[in-house]
Amino acid sequence: MSTPATPGLPYTDTKPQGSPDFFYGINATFRFMLQRLGMDGWRRYLEELGRGYFAPVNRQWAEGGLGAVARYWRAFFAAEPGAVVEVVEQPDRVEVRVHECPAIKHLRAGGREIVREYCQHCYFLGSARAGAAGLTMRLSGGSGSCCHTYARADAGLAPQDLAQIKEARS
Amino acid sequence: MIGCYDFCGHYEWTFGWFERTGGHALVRDYWNEAINHDSQRHARDLIRHGGIPGMLKYWGHTLAEESPSLGFNISHREDVFRIDFHDCPSRGFLLRNGLKNYRDYCDHCMGWTGPMLREAGYVIDHEHDHQGHCWWEMRPASATGGHAAPGLVAGAKDVRLRPDWPKDPAKLDRYTKANDPDAKMK
Repeated sequence: MSTPATPGLPYTDTKPQGSPDFFYGINATFRFMLQRLGMDGWRRYLEELGRGYFAPVNRQWAEGGLGAVARYWRAFFAAEPGAVVEVVEQPDRVEVRVHECPAIKHLRAGGREIVREYCQHCYFLGSARAGAAGLTMRLSGGSGSCCHTYARADAGLAPQDLAQIKEARS
Repeated sequence: MIGCYDFCGHYEWTFGWFERTGGHALVRDYWNEAINHDSQRHARDLIRHGGIPGMLKYWGHTLAEESPSLGFNISHREDVFRIDFHDCPSRGFLLRNGLKNYRDYCDHCMGWTGPMLREAGYVIDHEHDHQGHCWWEMRPASATGGHAAPGLVAGAKDVRLRPDWPKDPAKLDRYTKANDPDAKMK
């Protein structure tokens, strides 16, 4: 595997940001999975993706703790066109405050029908990745702006309430 | 969050997940239903209504965005649209990052463009070497015969003229007047 050019990102490209039309592919993939495999199948996909494809990131988080989590999300959103995000480090947690979600923004601009469960993917995926790194993750908000919280296991976060995640609106 | 920066990485991972979950049929359905008919519906609309000028509009935009270093070349005439990839941005991402979760990532291109072009009335001649090099010629479905000779459509930019283009046909996946990802001739 090649050495990452951008600290915090395990997979790197030769251009600084991705092509936003790929959000059409992500949205369509979710729709296909939900129609063919149902909610349980989609959730299983996200959890396995989180533990499998993202394993190198999870290892960075397990070894580097919350500082590595913060570095990753800063690098991640710098590579996502249109993102307006603030990453706030606290002693027992990192809050990723998404003021403008690049995916929802681009899907709306392109006139796409957004899968209403779209924002839940950040929780199912993020929770699986956090768990693999010995952390916990919670999500609130959605449909264009939200807050991801990654915390140490002893931070005492309340259980995730899926009702706190808004349905995505086109 | 799943991002667009490393899309090709998780997209490829997803092919392997689909195959393990529902076999090859589910992977084919995914390429056609989710990518051709949903994600890339803007491409379908342009090409169904615009033919070869629609192809130029779609691929001219999307390849310039995905590959700003222009690792590709587009050629077109009234009866043929051709792309030569000298440095595929998508396959190149996987090779540079050492990613492989599906047996042949390159199949996905024929997986969604094949059905899309069939619906628009076109067939495809294509070869790829799995190393980020490939070529595509799209012609009306009434076209017959084999592959055009190297250089005939793209001149010196024909990828088959590269010194590293495989001389051994066994190293190439080949399609002739095809629309189906399983119509591969080794």
